[in-house]
Amino acid sequence: MIPKSNRNPSGLHSEAERKKNKTGLLLPDSISVIMSGCPYFGGKHISSQKSNLKEEDDESQKGVNKASKGGVVYGDYLQLNKIMSAQILQSELGGNKIHDEHLFIVTHQAYELWFKQILWELDSVRDIFISGHVRDERNMLKVVTRMNRIVMIFRLLVDQFAVLETMTALDFFDFREYLSPASGFQSLQFRLLENKIGVPDSQRVPYNRNHYRDHFRGKESEMLLRSEQEPTLLLLVEKWLERTPGLEDDGFNFWGKLQKNIEEGLRLQQEKIEQKPDSEETKEQMAEHQKQVEIFRALFDQRRHEHLLSKGERRLSYKALQGALMIYFYREEPRFQVPFQLLTYLMDIDTLMTKWRYNHVCTVHRMIGSKAGTGGSSGYHYLRSTISDRYKVFVDLFNLATFLVPREWVPKLNPTVHTFLYTAECCDSSYCSSEDSD
Amino acid sequence: MSGCPCFEKGRQLFPSKHAQTGQMDDSQIGTNKAVKGGIIYKEYLQLDKIVTAQVLQSERKGHKIHDEHLFIVTHQAYELWFKQILWELDSVRNIFLKDRVRDERNMLKVVSRMQRITIIFRLLVDQFSVLETMTALDFYDFREYLTPASGFQSLQFRLLENKLGVSDSQRVPYNRRHYGEHFHGQDMEELLRSEQELSLLRLVEKWLERTPGLEKDGFDFWGKLQINVEEGFNHELKKLEQQPGPEKKAEMTEELIKQREVFTSLFDEKDHERLLCVGERRLSYKALQGALMIYYYREEPRFQVPFQVLTSLMDIDALMSKWRYNHVCMAHRMIGSKAGTGGSSGYHYLRSTVSDRYMVFVDFFNLVTFLVPRTWVPKLDPSIHKILFTAECYDSSYCSSEDSD
Repeated sequence: MIPKSNRNPSGLHSEAERKKNKTGLLLPDSISVIMSGCPYFGGKHISSQKSNLKEEDDESQKGVNKASKGGVVYGDYLQLNKIMSAQILQSELGGNKIHDEHLFIVTHQAYELWFKQILWELDSVRDIFISGHVRDERNMLKVVTRMNRIVMIFRLLVDQFAVLETMTALDFFDFREYLSPASGFQSLQFRLLENKIGVPDSQRVPYNRNHYRDHFRGKESEMLLRSEQEPTLLLLVEKWLERTPGLEDDGFNFWGKLQKNIEEGLRLQQEKIEQKPDSEETKEQMAEHQKQVEIFRALFDQRRHEHLLSKGERRLSYKALQGALMIYFYREEPRFQVPFQLLTYLMDIDTLMTKWRYNHVCTVHRMIGSKAGTGGSSGYHYLRSTISDRYKVFVDLFNLATFLVPREWVPKLNPTVHTFLYTAECCDSSYCSSEDSD
Repeated sequence: MSGCPCFEKGRQLFPSKHAQTGQMDDSQIGTNKAVKGGIIYKEYLQLDKIVTAQVLQSERKGHKIHDEHLFIVTHQAYELWFKQILWELDSVRNIFLKDRVRDERNMLKVVSRMQRITIIFRLLVDQFSVLETMTALDFYDFREYLTPASGFQSLQFRLLENKLGVSDSQRVPYNRRHYGEHFHGQDMEELLRSEQELSLLRLVEKWLERTPGLEKDGFDFWGKLQINVEEGFNHELKKLEQQPGPEKKAEMTEELIKQREVFTSLFDEKDHERLLCVGERRLSYKALQGALMIYYYREEPRFQVPFQVLTSLMDIDALMSKWRYNHVCMAHRMIGSKAGTGGSSGYHYLRSTVSDRYMVFVDFFNLVTFLVPRTWVPKLDPSIHKILFTAECYDSSYCSSEDSD
């Protein structure tokens, strides 16, 4: 603190310190305590003083101050001068400073900082797919690690609402008038996030679809447009799934084999039920069985899939769906373990986005009840409408659980024949993961 | 209408979801207010400053490392929240400093803001798990570009420690020796001010000393308590004497005597001053009495919110400590036993700061040593002891609602 030369030998550094001790005694530092003249220093307390002495020599206390020799220091490294000067209370500008507005501002700024980080990770993953580097399976660890990171950040962002909820609606009311027309609806990064993950324009609810581009001009508008036009994570994952080893008609032919097995399995199941004597129970079992037959008939009906695709109820191509189901069934095979983790993280991201939306709705409801939003939407009701499967990008992965079958129905593997299950593709070393830091 | 060959007229499975019908239920009605001008989101939040503050040193040196972005953003998020905590902390200190705390209508504001600080701290403790998605190997790739920048140079962290009440003499040697060296000019002035102005600890101490019921010529809580405790122990000892079984009795008697000694030291003011001297206690004797009074009588209307204040203060200490520990764990993971970029011994230095020396409100934690059976607590008579449900609010110039801060 105060340079050594100015330091009081007894260890006291300021008026405040001196005032603190009512008995007028100097608070000792570790070395001078033996000589401090403190009348309460008695033999029985030597042990605690000894440890004070020891710690001066303690390895953990050794060190220097590297920054004294110049170089980038913390504040410069993080450009804190920019960040710490970005909190301007509109209520204060309006001559009626409201304390809680600072929390409101900082919370939103923290959200935007983390949105930037998520976009950084998301874009790097998309690049790995777009550039074809994903074909070198050595890059899969990087992909899955970064997707997991996005999930962890999202968890934090969901928890962050608890901080803003320490503000009451009454306190918010005191400064809300100064905010109009600023609104989260104008958050560029949030829209980029939605688009790059794969929320399609046609699925946005009307108010969203009609207005969300209105606020962005110039460079921002270009960025937004690019995010709509460039391949989304959904599209990239779709192409990747279509390439899942084992789908080839002239190879393992997973789909063909699966269809045969399911048909056979269902036929046997029906026979078993028919052989039982008639009863309420067997009637019920037959009804259940018929339902299952319907479900699987639909699964293998490609035309039906295309129809649902056109309506937006399915998002992946038929082939990609097959790839996903293949990875699900054979997830323990060495080659599919990390791909399975990737599918899990994609669902986590969807789940967390929707939890984020829901937490947001709850906070808003609490703060403004049924009033309209500052940006002009209907407020709580508009936000509620976005808690919907329309905004769920990887909805197909969730729905795959509909089509799980008993393990015995899954086409059997033969390790000597089906070597693709444990043999990765790494291409040539120009795709090497370690060379490309991104 | 879609041209889709599979579309069957009777089979609108999910009609409400069809984009073409574009139903305009109430939730979709609205305008875009921003077209008429006025402040918009990104201006309100000065995002141009925030979103352009991430400059990777590894990239500047021609060797961009992906994970450095996460490193930067995580620290920036920490500093943003430190600013918010300081905003709340200073406002609470102000309420005490300006004596507005004597108007007990301000207590809700005080306790709400302290609880807000603890909730922010909880978030900051959880935030480490985000940075832990970076491996030591990835960190190693860009660490060389960081020197000598180090969290040790965080001004806001030091302001936070000082304004809460971490005492300079209690700082571990490396910390005490060097922590002021990085700050110059305006930063240094701010740091000095944070050491000289009254910390939350000192302000709370003065407030506790004023706890109603301590007055010797009034309720005289301390005098009464001492009598009750002495009587209580005597009573217990007598009971023991009358019991059979010499061996067990001797053991239990020894236990009781030990406990009594603990209380003897409690009522020994000299002992307290000694402990203050060596830094093992931080509050004045009178303030300690006030705190114990609030503990025992926390359900009395007047003490309910004060009790919440004491709990929040302990939460803040606990969370600071958890923050330090989480930080240690992560640093260990990232750099093992290597020295810190700022010049400290790294992990070992940080470990040494996870200690009661940095615990500001340690006295509240230790008070539980002195809890007694409810029957020993001096009895209250509501018709006489009105102080327990009558708040002081002074004149309306102290009105909580007038002063937004």
